[in-house]
Amino acid sequence: MRVNGSYRQWLATMTALGIFFLSASVQAGTIHLNYRLKWLFNTSVAGDIFAADQGYFTAVGLEVTVKEGSPEKNAIKELELGYADFGVASADQVIRALDKGADVVVLAQLFQVNPMQWIYRADQPEIKKLSDLQGRHIGITFGGNDETVMKTLLAKSGLAGEDVKLSGVRFDFAPFLKKQVDIWPVYLNSQGVILQDKLSREGETVYFFNPSDFGVNFVANSIVTSGKMVKNHPDRIKLFLGALLDAWEAAMDPANEAAVLRVVKKKDKGTRDDIQQKQLTATRKLIKPDRTVRIGRMDVAAWKQTETIMLNEGQIKSPVNIESRLAGPDSF
Amino acid sequence: MLFRRIYQFLIVYCLGLACLLGIKKVLTLSDYVIPGVPLILETAGRVSQGYLFDVFNTLSVTILGQVISIIMAFTVGILGRKSSWAGSFIKVMAYNIQAYPIVALAPIIFILLGDGFISRLLIASMICYFPLLLSVLGVMAAPVKDIEHFYIATGRMRWQLEVKIRAFENLSKLTTVIAGSATLAMAGTIVAEFIAANAGIGYSIRIALYQSDLAGILVALFIIGIVISIYQGMLETLGDQVKTKWFAPKGGELL
Repeated sequence: MRVNGSYRQWLATMTALGIFFLSASVQAGTIHLNYRLKWLFNTSVAGDIFAADQGYFTAVGLEVTVKEGSPEKNAIKELELGYADFGVASADQVIRALDKGADVVVLAQLFQVNPMQWIYRADQPEIKKLSDLQGRHIGITFGGNDETVMKTLLAKSGLAGEDVKLSGVRFDFAPFLKKQVDIWPVYLNSQGVILQDKLSREGETVYFFNPSDFGVNFVANSIVTSGKMVKNHPDRIKLFLGALLDAWEAAMDPANEAAVLRVVKKKDKGTRDDIQQKQLTATRKLIKPDRTVRIGRMDVAAWKQTETIMLNEGQIKSPVNIESRLAGPDSF
Repeated sequence: MLFRRIYQFLIVYCLGLACLLGIKKVLTLSDYVIPGVPLILETAGRVSQGYLFDVFNTLSVTILGQVISIIMAFTVGILGRKSSWAGSFIKVMAYNIQAYPIVALAPIIFILLGDGFISRLLIASMICYFPLLLSVLGVMAAPVKDIEHFYIATGRMRWQLEVKIRAFENLSKLTTVIAGSATLAMAGTIVAEFIAANAGIGYSIRIALYQSDLAGILVALFIIGIVISIYQGMLETLGDQVKTKWFAPKGGELL
C-alpha cells in the first residue's frame, strides 16, 4: 500500500510538472509586445482598443499590452528605452525625435485628416479665407503643435502679429464658453464633439476651422516602431500591423458600431453614450475619409509639408528627410 | 551659509546630471531621450535668459505666498494655542487638507479664479501654509513650564509674553521650518504654473515637456535650483541674525 501511495504521489507530481512545462511551452510560443498609445483610452483610439479586446492580436500569436499615453508618456522614448515595441506618435514628435538622432520608423498613418482644428461660434462670420482671421481672438496651446500650425496659417495669410490676438489655452473651456476667446483649438473627434454638444444645448451652433482646407496639412497620429525592430523582427511588425489595421478597418465599419461602442465603454466609462457615438462618427471621417482609403495610408506630401513647417518655425535644426523613415504597411 | 547652499546644490545637480549622462552612454540613447552636453549647453544659451525671468516671476509669487502663509500660520497658531478643542480641530483640518493632492484641487481653483496671479498665489500659499501651521501650532501649544511657571506664579504672565517665551525657546525650529517652507512655496507655485497658468517657470517647463525638450527642462531645473538656494540661504542667514539678536540683546554676550 505504501509503495502504491508513493507511486500515486510521484505520478501526481509528474503530471503537475508536465502541465506546468506544457503551458510554459505554449506561453513561450506567444510573442509579448507592448503598444504605447499617445493619449488616454477614448473613442479616438477605438481601433486599438478593438484589436486588443476582440482577439485580433492573439489570433496571430501575439500578446499585446495596449497602454494609455499622456504628455509625460512618450512612445518614441519608450521605444528607445525598450519599454514599448510599438507606439503612437504625432508627426511633430517623430520629426523632432529624428532631428535629435532617435531611430524611429513610421509604419502607418492613422489619421488621414488631422483632428486638431479650431471651433468657433456660428454667430461669427465664417472663415472662408485666411484673411478672415483678422481681428479674431484665437486660442493656442503654447508649445503645442496647434501653435505651429496657427503660426504657419498666419504667415501664409500675410497677417501680422497685431492683426490677431493670440491667447494661451489650457484644459478647461471656460474662456471659450464665456466668449473671452473666439476661436478655440480642439481635437475635433473628442473635445470638438463635447463642446458642440454643450453649445447646442444652449441653442448655439458652431463651425470648425480646419487648417487643411487652407493648404496646411500637418500630419497627426501614426504607428511607429524602432529601427532595431524593423531590422531584427520584420515578421513581428507584419503580424502586429496586419492585426492592428484589420481591427481598425473593422472598428471604422458602421456595421460594427454597436460592438465598437461596447468595447470602448469598457475602457472609457466616464463619457456619455451619445457623446461616444458622435465621437466615433467623427473619428471615422478622420481615419477613413472615404471607402477607397485604406487605413494606415501614408500621405507623403503631408509629411514633407509637416517637416518643412517645423523647419521654417525653427523647431528642428536641419532637414530630417522624413520620407526615408516612412515604411508604410506594404513594406512588410 | 549662502555659499554652502549654492555649492551643495551644485554637487547634487552635477551628480544627477552625471547619472543621466552615464545612463545615456551605457544604453546608447539618442539626444531625444537624454540630451548630451553639447545640446544642453546649446539649449542653455538659447533659453537661459528667458527662463531666468520666468524663475524670478515664479519667485515673486513664492515669496508673497510664503509671507502670507507665515502670517496666517502664526495668527492661527497663536489663536489656537490655548483652546485644546480649537487646536486639535485646526490640526485635524490641516492634516485633512494636506492629504488632498494639489493637482486635484488646482483645476477647481483655476476654473473659479482663472489662470492669473491669484490662483498661483493661492496654490503656493496652500502648499506652504499647512506644514507651517502644524509646526507653529506644535510650538505655541507646548508650554515651557520651567520659565512660564515663574511668570504665572508672580501674576505677570500675558499672552504676548507667553508667545515670546515659546517662540524664543523654539527659535531654531521655527527658523528652520520657515526656511524649509520656501522650497514648498516654490514647488507649489511651479505645480500651479505647470497645471494651468500662463506664466512662470512651471509654464515654461510644460511647454518644454510638450516639445519633449529634456535639455530645456534640465536648464530650468538648474536655474530654479540656484535661485531657490540663494533665497533659502538668505532666509537662513536672516534667521541666524534674528537668533543672534534675540540671544544677545542690547550688546550682551551671545550665550
